[in-house]
Amino acid sequence: MSLRFLSTARAQLADIVIIGGGPAGLTLAAAVKNSPVLSSLNCKLVEGGNLIGPLNSFSQNPPSNFTNRVVSLTPSTISYLSDIGVWKHIKEDRVESYDNIVAWDGVSGAQIDFNGPSLATMCETTNLQSALLARIEELNEETGIMDNIKVENITSDETNGWPVLQLSSGESLKTRLLVGCDGYNSPVRKFAQIESRGWSYNRWGIVATLRFKNGEFRYPTGWQRFLPSGPVALLPLPDNWTSLVWSTKPEYADILLKLDDDAFLAMVNAAVKLPVEELEFLYNQAHEDPENLVGEITWRLNVFNDKLSPQEMEKYPLELDTIVAKSRAKFPLKMSHADTYVEDRVALVGDAAHTTHPLAGQGLNMGQADVKSLVAVLEKAMERGLDIGTKLALEPYFSERYPANHVLLGVVDKLHKIYSTDIAPIVMARSFGVNVLNTVPFVKDYMVSRMGE
Amino acid sequence: MFLRRLSTAISEAEKSHFNSLAASWWDTTGPQRILHKMNLVRMDFINETLRSHVKINAGVPDEQKTFVPGWNHHNVLPGPVAESIQTEINRRIAQELSRPRLSCLDIGCGGGILSESLARLPMVASVRGIDLSPEVIRVADRHKALDPAITDKIDYQLKSIEQLDKDDQYDVVTMMEMLEHVEYPALVLQTAMQHVKKDGFLFLSTINRDLVSWLTTIVFGEYVLRIVPVGTHTYSKYIDRREIAEFVDETQFRVVDARGCTYVPLRGWVFTSLPDTGNYLMALQRME
Ligand SMILES: Cc1cc2nc3c(=O)[nH]c(=O)nc-3n(C[C@H](O)[C@H](O)[C@H](O)COP(=O)(O)OP(=O)(O)OC[C@H]3O[C@@H](n4cnc5c(N)ncnc54)[C@H](O)[C@@H]3O)c2cc1C
Repeated sequence: MSLRFLSTARAQLADIVIIGGGPAGLTLAAAVKNSPVLSSLNCKLVEGGNLIGPLNSFSQNPPSNFTNRVVSLTPSTISYLSDIGVWKHIKEDRVESYDNIVAWDGVSGAQIDFNGPSLATMCETTNLQSALLARIEELNEETGIMDNIKVENITSDETNGWPVLQLSSGESLKTRLLVGCDGYNSPVRKFAQIESRGWSYNRWGIVATLRFKNGEFRYPTGWQRFLPSGPVALLPLPDNWTSLVWSTKPEYADILLKLDDDAFLAMVNAAVKLPVEELEFLYNQAHEDPENLVGEITWRLNVFNDKLSPQEMEKYPLELDTIVAKSRAKFPLKMSHADTYVEDRVALVGDAAHTTHPLAGQGLNMGQADVKSLVAVLEKAMERGLDIGTKLALEPYFSERYPANHVLLGVVDKLHKIYSTDIAPIVMARSFGVNVLNTVPFVKDYMVSRMGE
Repeated sequence: MFLRRLSTAISEAEKSHFNSLAASWWDTTGPQRILHKMNLVRMDFINETLRSHVKINAGVPDEQKTFVPGWNHHNVLPGPVAESIQTEINRRIAQELSRPRLSCLDIGCGGGILSESLARLPMVASVRGIDLSPEVIRVADRHKALDPAITDKIDYQLKSIEQLDKDDQYDVVTMMEMLEHVEYPALVLQTAMQHVKKDGFLFLSTINRDLVSWLTTIVFGEYVLRIVPVGTHTYSKYIDRREIAEFVDETQFRVVDARGCTYVPLRGWVFTSLPDTGNYLMALQRME
């Protein structure tokens, strides 16, 4: 009892403690330091992993290969990052912008008219994070970032209810406002007893860094083919490199991750072209007879390519011939949404509040919009002399962001469901395009009833 | 003398009403939510007034004064020159806004909602809150102790406005939802005015249309302007805003701003362009 009292008594005081040094947490830290109204606050960031070392080494000696976590940034994310002085620190030779997205139905072959962003920019997560860190250091030598330190326990102070964090370093922090940027399993969300609802997609997202065969020039293009097992996407990086995001069933993911690099590369080439039945056959072969897989795929792709006219060839991505060693990784995909983003003394931002299927490349961008909104709300609260940790001060953040995120999560979720089936009427219907589906009520009702399970 | 003693005597019924509210004062989801929300509008009003009246050259030796043209320099001077003048002015304003320099008096501070908000503004150095209910002063004291950033900035006292030292003067005096609770508002208002420093501000608010009418009629009509005999208590004699402005002009005060505000479900309190109806905020500034 007395020990606990002592440790609480020795807790360092802070105005804002951010847990998590992912894209959301670092953006929030940079935005707070950049704000004339908030910069005087004592703001700390605690990250369990090794953050500063790797980010500094990325900015001083960038690796020659692209790293495998690449995200698509929307124009509004980039304009916010520019506003808070971060974008100028981005290594622009490592990002690629594109406004051409070719998306097609893996079963019917129909092109999908995607209401995507007018311009998207592919950027390695590490590039973004190291730019954020550079900006934070530029604004204040005292960064307030504590890395390699895990938050082990969170309690409430007995007198004023402020969160008290026990850190793995033995220190403790007591804060007016605790912001959870701590990802899907958010310890902050659990501390605040906020429910998060959703479901697993029973899909894995496989990422890898690949390169198209040199030769023909193509404008930077995002390719996305919707297969019943999930979409496979190739998103452009500079110099013919490309980032793979392949969502697929757990059993396929297992098979794909066990393949050697050449066989995996062949499977990606197959997945963006061959009919679904052939792909099923190939998964089987990959499982039972991986040695002959490359030969089998080469033969099938030759047959497929021979039938294409030069114009038709342009509707498909070029052949991939290089993969960065060890760049393959898999992530579980789920959709989840917290019941609220704010409680007294607590706010949730980014994946801590919501996760989505990567098919629309929105996850990180939603977190950026959260940060922008939260910072504006905190500024307003400061001007009104409110205690920024109170729910009263934080409520506008929730009411601004929840509906917007809710709509996006719903649309992405529907897209996933519509395209992960091969039931004939739905395939027929969807070859008219998503927008048609949405405007024809009976088709939509039918689909919704079919997808009710 | 008799009047003076009674002027801020709050009726017994009012007092017990306040006491019962004290317990739930700081529960922003409870019955006081509307008051907490109203505080947001008050703070916006106070903030905007203070920000737009920052004096950047007061007390500064002539040679260090920031050049503030008395005309619209953006129209007259070449772009870069006008811009650099504006940048310098903005820099000085920001400097003044972040320098703790204002002393505040919150009359009828209740549980401290407004006092705490004032105390958190970087430009505020100290806040004194006074109230007549021992219970709410206790609530206020207990609550300020929860936030180390303001504990030492605020000083709550159980006293009436008459019990303040006559020479006590403040840069900002607030009297929110207070006049309508006292029996002799005119005297209270006059006493409050005495505690405003030169160039300082008095912020007032009242509750609703009838009370606005009542305030303008009784306060300014009967007691201040003396256009009707004291004790007439009539609602039929309205004074329009021009007359109030004229009155204030004749005192050492001027009306800087007056705004209506109203409660809109789902949106909270918003300003209206009708300061003569519904809730009402007013800023007076002492000119000499
Ligand atoms: C395959 C895939 C592809 C994607 N592609 C895109 C895309 O193209 N565009 C897009 O916008 N989004 C994309 N996303 C989503 C995006 O990656 C996430 O939304 C984003 O990384 C979330 O950032 P965050 O900062 O909220 O959380 P995270 O990046 O998860 O960061 C959380 C941090 O909190 C730390 N932490 C957790 N607990 C503790 C603790 N107890 N103590 C200390 N630290 C702790 C963790 O170490 C971690 O660093 C993709 C996701 C996947 C899986």
